[in-house]
Amino acid sequence: MSAYIIRRLLAIPLMLLVLSFILFVLIWILPGDAAFSGALSISETGNYDVARERFGLDRPWYVQYGDWLGGIFVGDFGESLTPPHDSIMGSVKERLPKTIEVGVLTILLSAIISVPVGVLSAVRRNKPEDYVLRTVTILGISVPNFWIGTLIILYSFVWFGWNPIQDWVDFTEDPLTNLAIVIFPAGILAFAGAAYTARIMRSAMLEVLYSDHVRTARAKGLRERVVIFRHVFRSALIPVLTVLGLQLGSILGGAVVAEQIFAIPGMGLFALDRILARDYTSLLMIVMIFATMFMFVTLLVDVLYTYVDPRIRY
Amino acid sequence: MTEAAQTPVPGSLLEQEYAIPPRQRFNPLKWALREPAGALSIVIILAVGFMAGGASILNTTNPQTLDAFSANILEGPSGDYYFGTDRHGKDVWSSVLYGGRISLKIGVATVIVGTIGGTLLALIAGFVGGVVDFGLSRVADILFAVPALLLAMIMDIVLVDKLPDFPALPAEELARVLAIAFFFMPGAFRIMRGSVLEQRSAQYVEAAVLIGARQGRIMLRHILPNITGLVIVLATISLPAAILTEATLSFLLGSTAPSWGAELSGESRQFFNRAPWIAIFPGAALAITVFAFNIFGDSIRDTLDPRLRGRI
Repeated sequence: MSAYIIRRLLAIPLMLLVLSFILFVLIWILPGDAAFSGALSISETGNYDVARERFGLDRPWYVQYGDWLGGIFVGDFGESLTPPHDSIMGSVKERLPKTIEVGVLTILLSAIISVPVGVLSAVRRNKPEDYVLRTVTILGISVPNFWIGTLIILYSFVWFGWNPIQDWVDFTEDPLTNLAIVIFPAGILAFAGAAYTARIMRSAMLEVLYSDHVRTARAKGLRERVVIFRHVFRSALIPVLTVLGLQLGSILGGAVVAEQIFAIPGMGLFALDRILARDYTSLLMIVMIFATMFMFVTLLVDVLYTYVDPRIRY
Repeated sequence: MTEAAQTPVPGSLLEQEYAIPPRQRFNPLKWALREPAGALSIVIILAVGFMAGGASILNTTNPQTLDAFSANILEGPSGDYYFGTDRHGKDVWSSVLYGGRISLKIGVATVIVGTIGGTLLALIAGFVGGVVDFGLSRVADILFAVPALLLAMIMDIVLVDKLPDFPALPAEELARVLAIAFFFMPGAFRIMRGSVLEQRSAQYVEAAVLIGARQGRIMLRHILPNITGLVIVLATISLPAAILTEATLSFLLGSTAPSWGAELSGESRQFFNRAPWIAIFPGAALAITVFAFNIFGDSIRDTLDPRLRGRI
């Protein structure tokens, strides 16, 4: 087990190295210098060559890549390509906790909603409850989250004269106001996430419901509740755990939408802002941070498997 | 053993068991009764397709022409403007119908590029094996770690500056197609690779190898036809997600062509309180379309291969 974890931990920096190289190739080497002229001509009009030199963009790409890589090792995340050339590290430190808060709340909401829905839908298969829940879950993965978010803002203003968009307040400052801000982006992300997870939960439950060990459990006279929760539910939890872990990736992507709509000054809004400014140095760093978080969560999920299902050993 | 013992007596139970059942013809009516939701979704999809395709004859003005602007700004839904007008006096009904063209076009193009790309890479990985398979699989793993939407957004802005305009597909739309296809490729590759490896160890492939068929022939003539069902299911199931992703990208990055996502973004957001119909109708069109395609995808999967339920 510990050998497995160490091996996985060693693989993470290697994978990140390859990822950074792929991104560098995509952004830097594809023909056309438009990438940088876009960012720089807006910022330092007229001094295009000076600006190129200041950021070292006149050097060959491999020198730039080596320079960037060297910076990472000494904790230098570089500075933004567009004015006011903020340190990327500073922006990330300020914004990452907000996105993590939204993300954790989303996963919690998603798990709390999806598991009972999936179980009920499977146990009452092809009954009215199942049809209703299945329709709602398909709606959940179909209705665009930016539309729901927009309608929530619109109608809470039209009907209640109340605007859910407020200035950011830290949890430590005022927990209630903070939750009132965070619940909206987390809620719309959790709706789609829970719908998807509930569908997986339902099919995983159905697969186990008709297996031999469940028939045995019923045959020896266990009560239905015990059969469902002790024998079916636990076996069905593995795919759900996988999906919840994978969802983190989509939540970090979804954060772009949710933070844009509800004006949360987190990483998602930062990413969108940097994309529109064609600020590739910041973007590279944002992607690397998200990927690192995702890899650690995947590792955590893989370790959790052994607790849910003792048959899995590494 | 005698000859008589091997040939089953006509009409016996044994003969019935060995008889090859007549190939069932696909009966659309029977299918519709078994999958009513799927049948309903086809009706909705056809309606959406008809409205998008026939946009020009359905009492619209092309929102990309100057005629679209009028003095009637922010008017509510009426007999003249079914869905009301926006801040430029443009008819929202027209924008929704013309927007459907873009959404469907980009969605379908994305799925074709993404599924074919993923399948071809999977065939190559499954067949060449060794370093190539290892490399492609690790790259897919690594790309999986990046939030797909973020990756698609970056690809979109990187590509849009570098691609040429085509008559049917301007650089902006082509960049979006490639960006979203890129978003799907790692997932499609993973699913197809598993299937290719499964087929590879099948006996019919062994037989083909034995009679000296070349690798390319085995790949394209033997394995590909056997995974076509999965490719179709994968494509149908990816289509609603592709349409949704296109709308999300248009919402976040904007779009010069009318698009369901772009209608909800940018400056027009300030006018939603005064004119909620600008927000409601494009989003509803998008939600209904994606909903119908999702139900259709589920029915297709259950019809073609119920074993896939829960896997994709």
